[in-house]
Amino acid sequence: MPDEPRTNNILVVDDSPTMRRMVITSLGSLRTVKSSQAGSGLEAIERLAIEPVDLMVLDLNMPDMHGMEVIDFVRRHQSYRNIPIVVLTTKGEESSRSQALAAGANRYLTKPFDPRQLADIVGSLLKTS
Amino acid sequence: MDKSNPDNTGEFFNQFLDDYYAECDEHLVLIRRALVMLEREVGAPAVDRSLLDNLFRSFHTLKGISGMVGLAAAEQLAHHLESYLRELREGTVALSEPGFEALGAGVSLLENVINARRHDQPIPSIDEIVAQLQAAPHVTPGASGSESVVQRWQIEFTPTAELAARDVNVNTVRARLQEIGELIQAKPIVKGAGEIAFEFVLTTGVDETVLKSLEADGLVAQRLEDSAVHKAQPVPLIAPSTVVRVDLDRLDELMRIVGDLVISRTRLDDQLTQLKLVTPPAAWRPLQETSLGIARQLRDLRESVIRVRMVEIGEIFERMTFVVRDLARESGKKIIVQLSGGETEIDKFLVERMMDPLMHLVRNAVSHGLEIVAEREAQGKRAEGLLSLSAMTAGERIIIKIADDGRGIDRDLVRERAKANGLDPGDREIDDAALLDLISSPGLSTRDAADRESGRGVGMDIVKNAIEELGGHISLETKRGQGTTFTLELPLTLAIAEALIVSVNGQRFAVPQSGVREVFEVESASTKMLENNEIIPYRGKVLPLLRLARVFEMDYPRGEKFHVLVIGEETNAVGLAVDRILEQREIVVRALNDPLAQSKGIAGATELGDQRVVLILDITALRQLAMTSPH
Repeated sequence: MPDEPRTNNILVVDDSPTMRRMVITSLGSLRTVKSSQAGSGLEAIERLAIEPVDLMVLDLNMPDMHGMEVIDFVRRHQSYRNIPIVVLTTKGEESSRSQALAAGANRYLTKPFDPRQLADIVGSLLKTS
Repeated sequence: MDKSNPDNTGEFFNQFLDDYYAECDEHLVLIRRALVMLEREVGAPAVDRSLLDNLFRSFHTLKGISGMVGLAAAEQLAHHLESYLRELREGTVALSEPGFEALGAGVSLLENVINARRHDQPIPSIDEIVAQLQAAPHVTPGASGSESVVQRWQIEFTPTAELAARDVNVNTVRARLQEIGELIQAKPIVKGAGEIAFEFVLTTGVDETVLKSLEADGLVAQRLEDSAVHKAQPVPLIAPSTVVRVDLDRLDELMRIVGDLVISRTRLDDQLTQLKLVTPPAAWRPLQETSLGIARQLRDLRESVIRVRMVEIGEIFERMTFVVRDLARESGKKIIVQLSGGETEIDKFLVERMMDPLMHLVRNAVSHGLEIVAEREAQGKRAEGLLSLSAMTAGERIIIKIADDGRGIDRDLVRERAKANGLDPGDREIDDAALLDLISSPGLSTRDAADRESGRGVGMDIVKNAIEELGGHISLETKRGQGTTFTLELPLTLAIAEALIVSVNGQRFAVPQSGVREVFEVESASTKMLENNEIIPYRGKVLPLLRLARVFEMDYPRGEKFHVLVIGEETNAVGLAVDRILEQREIVVRALNDPLAQSKGIAGATELGDQRVVLILDITALRQLAMTSPH
């Protein structure tokens, strides 16, 4: 089906399975999207190595590799540096907003998040990338 | 979700409430476990870093998901707990007694807040605890640290889709390495052609060959130059859980289906038996073998389903230690809690129903059993009271003991209270079994203040009923001045049980085998009448007989011989008289929900394969029947 738009793979990274489900369900309204998940920073990077990823929704405070280190790693890697990253983190660490954006995150959202806003942002990032 | 209406956000997140509660439960379990370990470090100059990290992360996650479902009180409380943990972690605060207390109280409140939302109850206020957490004294911790000498290895792992398909991935590799040593580093690296790999640094004492054996899975291990290094603070690495959460209702459904299969198999067996007469052996035998094969597979399936339902009892033991600490603080007592057998597994269904009875027994032990320090010292006892909770399996049953070394139950006081309540405790010395019956009688056990002095008693009737409803049994052992032990015996699982099928006047009944101590045959001539009770000699004593036929108001032929099933404990055993024992088999227990069909002495119903329903006897109720009325 040549006219069918390409399906984008979104990698949802969060150590809370409930939060991952919330994010994936929120993105369900975007029809051209499928998703995969990772529960830690290391797992996220492994996903990058073994499957194509078009966008990441990334938590910051996670076991074994902080989200900020994930951004750092991705932005320095020649093959992955252009993947859009939406940081989705729990409110209360306002200083991390500027750090994350400086490290190369495209957008910075806080939890509790508005599902429609998240879907809109992801949708527009996919269109422009 | 209605995309045009942003106000639907709350409703949108409500669909995740079940996940939310389940994840909260998981984190609360982890938190309680960590707190038990943390308590040992109160006052220590440096607290185990990974413990703090784990706690921090749990609070952080609870904060995040509570915010999503709009539970602001939980979100804020988790935030304050997280902040306190951050200070501990950064070393600006040392872990003090009041600080730990505030942490424990905060966790209990967090649980209450979440449960209040779950059960649509008013959300408790969090102000007081938040103030306590903020007021936790700021003590500058001293420096310390131990050093040891180990070997250091660098291990490189390159993930591929092929390896991932074989379940060799960053998580499984990390878990394997953690088994053989201590991981001090785990980071992603980029190799020449932009290939992603992971570099682990491991300190371990294991032999080189162990590490070299990892190479089969694409791992490259290399010993690092300075083989003698100072052990660095390990990076906390928690392997993500591979646990799948399943609603208990779904497991019940699965169990029901397995039960139906067991019944269908039995039916097949009966049909095969009938077929045997009219089928040539060469044709019949393979059918029979297939049927036996299915029987074995069904047993495996049943055991697997039961295993899925099993959880470790340690989780509720840990909850008890919190209850004890709170109570001890309120009452100014010093108490040491000893846990053992926490890894013993029990059906999730039973665990949930055991919470309240266990809590009751633990509360009673702390409030009424264990003495205050002065009273203990006056008696030459150790200042700290000992409360031990233990669990073990015995065959198809689990045995849980709650033991204290407190003052024991005052038999004389119980006797007086019993008389005052119109009960007749008799004039002889009250033995442990009779004592338990007295303190569990509704009149005595629900009274408050006066019974407290007797050493035990609040809500014992509820405890006993709850345990017996689960097919369990409770017993008591108490010595004045030395303490009290309650022993609970429960089936490991419900739903499918081994049973004896007996016949009475041509009617069949199923008797759960776990309640039967002994079976023997009796000559009708050897029974005697004593004060309107039929008795038979048994192990040098006499055993009161309960004729099942009489219980269900049936006629019974006076044959030459009959069978007796001994039920109950040594001291209050009863012989259940039946005509014959037909067989021993697995039965699928179905509750009788129809109130018309519910009658005393019947626990449920089962089907034996010939599509006829057989009633399952309620052994506990029958024993009580025998104790209260002559037969």
